[in-house]
Amino acid sequence: MLRRHSLKLMAAFTASLLVPFGASAEMAATVDKPVTITFYNYNLASASAGADATKELIAGFEKKFPNVKVEPIAVPSNEIMSRVQADIVAGRQPDVAQLVFRDLIYIASDLGGNALEDMVKPAELKEQLAGMIPRGLELGKVDGKTYGLAYTFSTPILYYNADLFRQAGLNPDEPPKTWADVAAAGKAIKEKTGKNGFFPGAYGPTDGTFVYQSIVMSNRGKVRDGNKLTFADTNAADAVKMLHDMVASGAHAKIDPASASDTFGSGNMGMFLYTSALLSSMKKSAAGKFELRLAAMPAFGDKPTAPTNSGSALFIFSKDPLKQRASYELLKYLTSREAYTIITSKIGYLPLRLDIVDDPNYLGGWLKENPMFRANLEQLNRLTANLAFPGANYRQVEKMMMDSVREAVFGKGDPAAALKSAQDQAQDLMP
Amino acid sequence: MTTDIDAPTTNPGGMFLQPLLGRLAVHGVMILLSVLSIFPIYWMFVTSFRPANEIFSTALWPSAPTFENYIFVLTRVPMLQMLANTVIVAAMTAGLQVVTGMLAAYALVRWRMRLSGVVHGLIALSWLVPFQVTMIPNYVLASQLGLLDTLAGLIIPNASHAFAVLLLYHAMRSFPNEILEAARIDGAGSSKILWQIVVPNMGAPIASLSIIAFISAWNEYFWPLLLSRKPENSVVQIGLQMFMTQEGNLWGPLMAAACLASLPILIVYLVLQRHVIESFMKSGIR
Repeated sequence: MLRRHSLKLMAAFTASLLVPFGASAEMAATVDKPVTITFYNYNLASASAGADATKELIAGFEKKFPNVKVEPIAVPSNEIMSRVQADIVAGRQPDVAQLVFRDLIYIASDLGGNALEDMVKPAELKEQLAGMIPRGLELGKVDGKTYGLAYTFSTPILYYNADLFRQAGLNPDEPPKTWADVAAAGKAIKEKTGKNGFFPGAYGPTDGTFVYQSIVMSNRGKVRDGNKLTFADTNAADAVKMLHDMVASGAHAKIDPASASDTFGSGNMGMFLYTSALLSSMKKSAAGKFELRLAAMPAFGDKPTAPTNSGSALFIFSKDPLKQRASYELLKYLTSREAYTIITSKIGYLPLRLDIVDDPNYLGGWLKENPMFRANLEQLNRLTANLAFPGANYRQVEKMMMDSVREAVFGKGDPAAALKSAQDQAQDLMP
Repeated sequence: MTTDIDAPTTNPGGMFLQPLLGRLAVHGVMILLSVLSIFPIYWMFVTSFRPANEIFSTALWPSAPTFENYIFVLTRVPMLQMLANTVIVAAMTAGLQVVTGMLAAYALVRWRMRLSGVVHGLIALSWLVPFQVTMIPNYVLASQLGLLDTLAGLIIPNASHAFAVLLLYHAMRSFPNEILEAARIDGAGSSKILWQIVVPNMGAPIASLSIIAFISAWNEYFWPLLLSRKPENSVVQIGLQMFMTQEGNLWGPLMAAACLASLPILIVYLVLQRHVIESFMKSGIR
């Protein structure tokens, strides 16, 4: 009790240090004079297609808004949150930041992120959000207010090696639809080819919790309910037990979680469940080596799947009215039809606007050339918001949960007991 | 039929064979260890010439070697600028650590102060403070001084180091006192004694410190990661990280960049091989 009380006090103290400004003034109506805004971006800190696409988007924005200069701050994704915090502490107020969804509640409650409803007039906001998928808009909401707009995000898709399917006597035209199918196919691949059957990118170190939460939510489980942790409750635990049983049967590979995508890319794995963001690099690895195909994420029997989201959203931190307007215009531009066309076709993420999918002016042509991407687009209809953890200790709670999931899946003990033990300990760190 | 009663009971060749076998065994083990050490470097080199769809091949040489990974590295990331930045940062850091270490060590050894033991202890203790503890205060200070995203910001906070002071302190303590006293009697001041008498006679520890400080600064990752805001103002270790992306790891370009990044250090090692080994033998790995 004393510990929880102390933690709350510490959290409150930290929050008071991190929120440097009080209520901000009303956002300017237009950008009528030159202004520079900072854009913290992790795609720019890489040499990938994401960096090129981001540079193209920034150039397009600056051309459209010559008064606005965007100062990009390139930070790797695993460090970008620390950098935003460090700059706030150093008095360098960030304007726009690309941050991952796991930090959503912390950004809203402790880091001073602006809710669009508090910053933008209702009519203008309504016009901007029109045409966006309602389920997609839910991804960046906290207590009914929009703090983040989904920017580069995706859902888990099943990559599979059609050649290994054939070698194992399976029909690659009928990919697994349920987890029972995955277990059977994985076992057949392992036994008949000696290669790894299946692995989900769900155990870290870089994938967060979105694949794990997708599996849990597809079995009607949840990792938390309000401030009460529920990742050891029956449905969530049964989903993990299913993975544990696949490990025991040999259908699920026992490899280093950090090497799963490379194992699949090298042709040594039959099925890999992960974000579509890897599609471009997977295609390069598979070229001339094996036939790569995609399918929707598997379901628990006839229950519809609940794919949650990976990736990032855009957040505004500006306090100055003119910078707020410039930041909001950048946000609007980066979530426009033109921008999502670039984001989807050049990086491989999902668009938040479905009206561009078959439009020949936007994604229509690209989708004809890349029909396998439809499996991912169809999952948007069932898109379910990834649950971030609240409170100052949210990252520790998430780590304790994922440690216990790894122990439950790969350990020899009772999976439910491993989850329950971690849940009881982690509950003390919740607000 | 006669019997040679003087014939030796053992094979005469055995006298030579046994040491030969022993030497062969020792050399065999050394060759094996050398191969184990060199193979990862060889693999990095070979992988840098593999096309994307052969990255995971286990063949010892690519079937169709290509420079595409090097072209990718040099066109997509300002790698040459980063290499130049790293050389400047590592050389300046090593040089400044030698100079500041010399000044501090001379003061601690030569000038008997009441609290010199405490000062020495505090310097030693500062070595034990993890970087993460001072990271944010240093960042705030660097921000206030306008050092963010600059090479000076990477050099100045590392211009002195407890390791440098302690290494030179212990080396200087064994310097013959008589020579220093003789110089003083001849009218030399502290500055003259330090730079004209002590420094020229401390080549070995200065070389050791320079090499260790250079390699340490070359490998520095967290501080440049925190301080730099644009790739062109950063160092090569950050450049390497740019090939580990959210859209998959670009192994071919990463290996090409790693080859480019390790070349200067390999050259330093090849030229100063004896000094490097001695440095690590005497001083340990920092």
